Amino acid sequence: MAASLWRTSSCILRRSLTISSVRCASGPPSKAVDQHKGKFPSDDCQIPDSLGHSVGVERYELLAKEAGNDDPFQMKPIKRAKGTFDEPTIVTSPNAKRMIGCICEEDSLTINWMYVHKGEPKRCECGYWFKLADAPVQEYN
Amino acid sequence: MQLHPFHLVEYSPWPLLNSFGILCMPVGLVYYIRGGSMTLLLLGLVAVAIISFLWWRDVTRESTLQGLHSSYVVKGLKVGVFLFIVSEVCFFFAFFWAYFHSSLAPSVEIGSTWPPVGIATLETFQVPLLNTSVLLLSGVSITWAHHSIEEGDHKNAMQGLGLTLALGFYFVFLQYGEYMETSFSIADSVYGSTFFIATGFHGLHVIVGATFLTVCFMRLILMHFDKKHHVGFLAAAWYWHFVDVVWLFLYVSIYWWGSFPDSLCKALIL
Repeated sequence: MAASLWRTSSCILRRSLTISSVRCASGPPSKAVDQHKGKFPSDDCQIPDSLGHSVGVERYELLAKEAGNDDPFQMKPIKRAKGTFDEPTIVTSPNAKRMIGCICEEDSLTINWMYVHKGEPKRCECGYWFKLADAPVQEYN
Repeated sequence: MQLHPFHLVEYSPWPLLNSFGILCMPVGLVYYIRGGSMTLLLLGLVAVAIISFLWWRDVTRESTLQGLHSSYVVKGLKVGVFLFIVSEVCFFFAFFWAYFHSSLAPSVEIGSTWPPVGIATLETFQVPLLNTSVLLLSGVSITWAHHSIEEGDHKNAMQGLGLTLALGFYFVFLQYGEYMETSFSIADSVYGSTFFIATGFHGLHVIVGATFLTVCFMRLILMHFDKKHHVGFLAAAWYWHFVDVVWLFLYVSIYWWGSFPDSLCKALIL
């Protein structure tokens, strides 16, 4: 009991001492950000439009659409290229692999799902080739 | 930046905790009605109020402050709210079914007539009619608030939503007065049962809708909405219109048609 009490209290003490010493050593605290600055409605400050208000993914999507990219998350199906070994259909991803689905023929009733890996062209069982290329993350500012 | 448009939610204690809080309410209500103390009912109410506040706070942070609600997420939320309202329609459908089952072919035990023998119904064209106009007016004022938000007019949005809230609470106040006036109780024949179940659950829904609108009002003050993205407000408005429509059916079928003096008269109308 005594041992566990000592462990707990020394742990708490050590942590608070470490944190406060680090805080003291790193200079005066930064100024608090006023979250509501410029956001109070007045005659010239009203309900904003989406671009003046959004943050995060929501903003990313809006900016992408503004820049002419109407599919920033690559949710839409892409058209197959020639699909030979020399000219495969290029699929992009920032990751090492991506799951794709091939609609082998126009009247196919099923989709063939498979993984494509970077640097390793893949052939669907129907004969078309796919290749995974880098997709640099697009920044919109 | 994430490369998918979805909001992968994190663990949240609120759904489970709120379920327990909501469970406390009907159990506490029955206990209180049967002569027990009010403690469990109050505990349930307070717990649900606190947990709902915290849940709303979290969702607000995720959507407005973290921007996690992309257009795909918004679409899902809207479908979710719509399906929820459909389930609410089914809920009220059951009570209307019970009401019409008992009133269209009144059984011999209640005098083969509707309203049953010995039931003095409420006056149709007094407070219930006022209630109808109050709710219809609140439907207009919430549309005023909605258009103002889309126009970016903060002042008018505040006025429209404020008026809607006031009308909502006025409706609850009037219904409370009506409940005090009734000469029958929930235990007085199938009339009392269907009347209080249907109008009582409607009143509860008005209180919930008014709470939702209050949250929207606070968020409007905090400038959480923009011209295009205001799903919280939209959901509250849909819900409010739903409650409004349910009242119209209640008024026409229970307060009005249900208080015609004899069943022959009703047969002629039908």
